[in-house]
Amino acid sequence: MKPLLEIDQIHVRYGDMTALRGVSITVAESEVVCVIGPNGAGKSTTLAAVAGGVKPFRGEVRLNGTAITGRAPERIAALGVSLVPEGRHIFGSLTVDENLAIGGYMRNDKAGVAADRARLLDLLPRLAERLHYPAGRLSGGEQQMLAIARAVMTRPRLLLVDEPSLGLAPKIVDQIYEILLDLRRRDGLTLLINEQSSNRILNHADRIHVLRAGVIQLEGRAEDLRDGDAIRHAYFGFGHQAPAAPAALEAAP
Amino acid sequence: MSAKTLLPALARHQSPALLALCLLAIVALASLTGSDTVQVTVAEMMIRVIVVVGLYVFIGNSGIISFGHIGFMCVGAYAAAWATAQPTFKQIMLSGLPVFLQEAEYPFLVAVAGSFALPALVALILGAAIMRLSGTACSIATFAFLVIVNSVYSNWDSVTAGVSSIIGIPTVVGPWIGFAFALLAIAVAHLFQISRFGLMLRASRDDEVAARASAVDVLKVRLAAFVLSAALVGMGGGLYAQFLGILTVDPFYLNLSFITLAMLVVGGMFSLTGAVCGVVAVTAIVEVLRFLERGGLGVALPQGSQELGLGVLMALILVFRPKGLTGGRELRIPRRWPQLGFRRKRLEQRPQEG
Repeated sequence: MKPLLEIDQIHVRYGDMTALRGVSITVAESEVVCVIGPNGAGKSTTLAAVAGGVKPFRGEVRLNGTAITGRAPERIAALGVSLVPEGRHIFGSLTVDENLAIGGYMRNDKAGVAADRARLLDLLPRLAERLHYPAGRLSGGEQQMLAIARAVMTRPRLLLVDEPSLGLAPKIVDQIYEILLDLRRRDGLTLLINEQSSNRILNHADRIHVLRAGVIQLEGRAEDLRDGDAIRHAYFGFGHQAPAAPAALEAAP
Repeated sequence: MSAKTLLPALARHQSPALLALCLLAIVALASLTGSDTVQVTVAEMMIRVIVVVGLYVFIGNSGIISFGHIGFMCVGAYAAAWATAQPTFKQIMLSGLPVFLQEAEYPFLVAVAGSFALPALVALILGAAIMRLSGTACSIATFAFLVIVNSVYSNWDSVTAGVSSIIGIPTVVGPWIGFAFALLAIAVAHLFQISRFGLMLRASRDDEVAARASAVDVLKVRLAAFVLSAALVGMGGGLYAQFLGILTVDPFYLNLSFITLAMLVVGGMFSLTGAVCGVVAVTAIVEVLRFLERGGLGVALPQGSQELGLGVLMALILVFRPKGLTGGRELRIPRRWPQLGFRRKRLEQRPQEG
């Protein structure tokens, strides 16, 4: 199948620091691909490079074969790439309903927007109960759900989710994954998800990339990586035998 | 319209309606007193409402402070003066004006339209250049604009009469006309903030990254607010010219910039109610202090206690209500008036439009 998204050997630099050194990831239509890696590995930068938040100085990002590298975030969003940024970026002073409305503004099909809104509220009764609350007053989990719902309201072809589990209770994280996978089952939504830990994602993703220090260390089908040893090795840079602690710390940033 | 659709509509527009009623009460009371001083004060207050509501359209919705809007007020005031001053005066003193302005005296509404349109045009050009700047840089750029307007209008003798005044502008603006245009400004500001553009702009104020990721063209919505806001402030200027009758550049500078910003901040800069309340509150404080300064209670306060008192009171208000008089709750609820319990229930039950 032709890939929907091709990240082709991108390099990203922040000042003197190189965050990504030749990262390549492809995501096919309706696939769930996950990037895992420790803090500072470059996961968020990878998603930002796709969504237009940062511009790679080398390499290319292609959507359906068209290069979108370095376009403005709002243009890329209009092409159907929706980013749920890390840390629940909702519009705190707007109501839940208005947050959802903003998601639907780029679309022209009023009926479709209304239908999606109804369906999402059906799926997320907690948001439905709080439609006219300022979004800033929601709990962390509700805000994360709202951020995802708002992104889904844009009817994306590709949904980028940056660490959906960050700072949330495991039970809430399970709910969020249920919702994401439910959307994928129903709409054939394509997902590229960042996570720090692999345990949950191994059951949900089709393919996994392990990113460390700006380089893809390992990629493979989730089912082939279940035993976890290869992932551990790629993630920490070592296998069974524990090395001296300082080395592990150096490998992490 | 059935009651079922009328009630939510009323609830949706209740805040500008209530604000209008409050202003109406003030103007009506002022008329009842029959005192000329009160009339003048109230007329000026209505003009300030227009200016501060205009400021709010940009500052409140975008979260970017502008120090330059009084420049637009100046542009609007001169536009109105060019249209309505006597042709004989214009031909002698303002020989640089185009002939169609020199030789005719236009009616009031045409002048107001001009004072709305010219600042909007200027804002469109200026905004296209500076809206891409981030918060503080943008604020300083607007300040630069104020300085430029002040210099140009003080020195372009053949068009603005330089540092001397334009005289003979018909003084047609009183409390009621001021009130009518204040209503217009409030309605426009309200309709903008509940519009798609207003919502997108407020989303970008809350979180620019997320807004752009939701395909909000931040530059475009900011520019739209900037132009609309300049037009309203300019309209305030046009009315001010036709309230004073004599126009110089001096009033449109730092003093007025800071007092109008102070009004917005004291009232609460993130709500329309805040903008209106701020004008009323600060005007009231100033008038009371003036009254005391004149010896209204038997003993006259020393000269300058008005400015001092205003400063202290504004500081106190902000110490106790850092988000302005209208407070934090208003800040969060887009419907800008504390709602009655039953109304809110209805709002939450109503089936939503997309």
